Amino acid sequence: MKGGWWKIGTVLLLLYVVIVGLRTPLAPALVHASVDRIAPGPVSFDIKGYNTHFTEGSVTAWLENDGQQVCSAPVEVLADDRARVTVTVPQGFRKPLTSVWVFTAKDGPIALHDAFFTEGLGDGITGTPCRPGGKYLRSGLAFPDRAILNETIRNLFFHVPMWFAMMALMTIAVWQSVRVLRSGSLEADRSALSAVHTSLLFAALGLTTGSLWARVTWGGWWTSDPKLNGSAVTVLIYAAYLVLRGSIPDAHKRARLAAVYNVFAYALMLVFLMVLPRLTDSLHPGNGGNPAFSTYDLDSSLRAVFYPAVLGWIGLACWAYTLTDRTERLNALAHEAHDR
Amino acid sequence: MKRTIANAALLVLAAALPARTFAETSAPNWLVDTMYGSGKINTVVVVVSVVLIGLGAWMFTLDRRLGRLERDQKSRP
Repeated sequence: MKGGWWKIGTVLLLLYVVIVGLRTPLAPALVHASVDRIAPGPVSFDIKGYNTHFTEGSVTAWLENDGQQVCSAPVEVLADDRARVTVTVPQGFRKPLTSVWVFTAKDGPIALHDAFFTEGLGDGITGTPCRPGGKYLRSGLAFPDRAILNETIRNLFFHVPMWFAMMALMTIAVWQSVRVLRSGSLEADRSALSAVHTSLLFAALGLTTGSLWARVTWGGWWTSDPKLNGSAVTVLIYAAYLVLRGSIPDAHKRARLAAVYNVFAYALMLVFLMVLPRLTDSLHPGNGGNPAFSTYDLDSSLRAVFYPAVLGWIGLACWAYTLTDRTERLNALAHEAHDR
Repeated sequence: MKRTIANAALLVLAAALPARTFAETSAPNWLVDTMYGSGKINTVVVVVSVVLIGLGAWMFTLDRRLGRLERDQKSRP
C-alpha cells in the first residue's frame, strides 16, 4: 500500500475519536432543583446531580445572588446524585435570579446557575463566604456538562466534522473544475463530479444527524435557523449541478458549463454556510456576528477530540472520494473500450 | 431509466419527510423517554448509527457499481 499512510492515519484518528469521544465522562454537574421560586424565610429543596459524588466526603451548599452568598444548613445527602438543601433565605436580594452551589470533596464547586426566581428585591444582604477552603480531587479528562446539551455534546465529533468533510470535498471539486476551465480536461470533469457526489453523501449525513440532535436539544426536527436553511439551499444548489450535467449531451460542452456552474456554486456555499449565519442570530454556537472558534464553548477537553475528529472525517471523505473517482475512471475506460 | 425513477422517488420522499415532521406535534412517549433518558446519551448512539448506516449504504452502492464493471469486463470477449 504505497502512499497509504494517510489512510492508516485516518483510521487511527477515527478510532481515537470514537474511543475517547464516547468514553470520556461528563464533568459532575447539577441538573435540577425541586423548586424554582424562593421567598424570604426557610426553604428546603432537593438537588439532582449528574456524575456527582455526594456520598464521598462532606457536602457544602450555598445560594449566590449577585455575588453575595447565603450558606445552607448541613446538607442531607440522599444518594450520590441527590441531596436535600435547607437554607434560610434573607430579605433583600439584589437580583431576581439566584444560583445554587454545591462543594464536595471529590467534585469541587459545581453550580446550577439561575436556579431560583425571587420576587421583591432589596439593597443586598450581609453575605458571608461559604465555600470551604482546601483542595478537591477532580481527576482525568471530562467534557463539560452543559445545560440542555448534556451527553449530546459528544455529537460535536460526529455531526460537525461531516460539514468540514463536505466543504473539503467541495474544495477538491472546485479545484478540479478550475482545471477543466484551464485545460478542458474530461478527466478533471469526472473528478469534479466524483467529489460533488461524495460530498453530498456527507451533506446528507450532516443534515440527518443535525436534525436528530436538533429534535432533542432545540425541540424540533427542523428550525428556521440560518445555518440549517443555508445548508439545505447548498444541497439544492449542488443537486442542480447534477441536473445541469444530465441535461447536456455533449461531453466537452458539459464539462465546461458544469465547471463554470461549480465555481459559482462553491462561492454560494461559502456565503450560505460561512457568511450569512454570522450576520444573523442563530441557534448554532459561534454565529450572530462572531467567528465560530473564538466564542464556541470549546474547552480544552473538547478540542482534544474535536480537532482529531475533523482531520479524521476529512481523511475518510477524501478516501471515499478517491474510491469513487477510481471507480468512475474504470467505468469511463470500459465505456471507451466498448465504443471502440 | 430505472435509476432515474428510483432517484425521483427518493427525492419525493426527502421532500415529504419534513412536511410530515412539521405536522407532528409530539413523538411517541417511549421514543422521547429513550432519547432524553440517561443524560441524552442515546441521541449520540443514534447519531453515530446514522453515520455508520450512511457510510455502509455508500459502500453498498460502490460495491454494486464495481460488480457491474466486473461483469461487463467478463462478458466482453
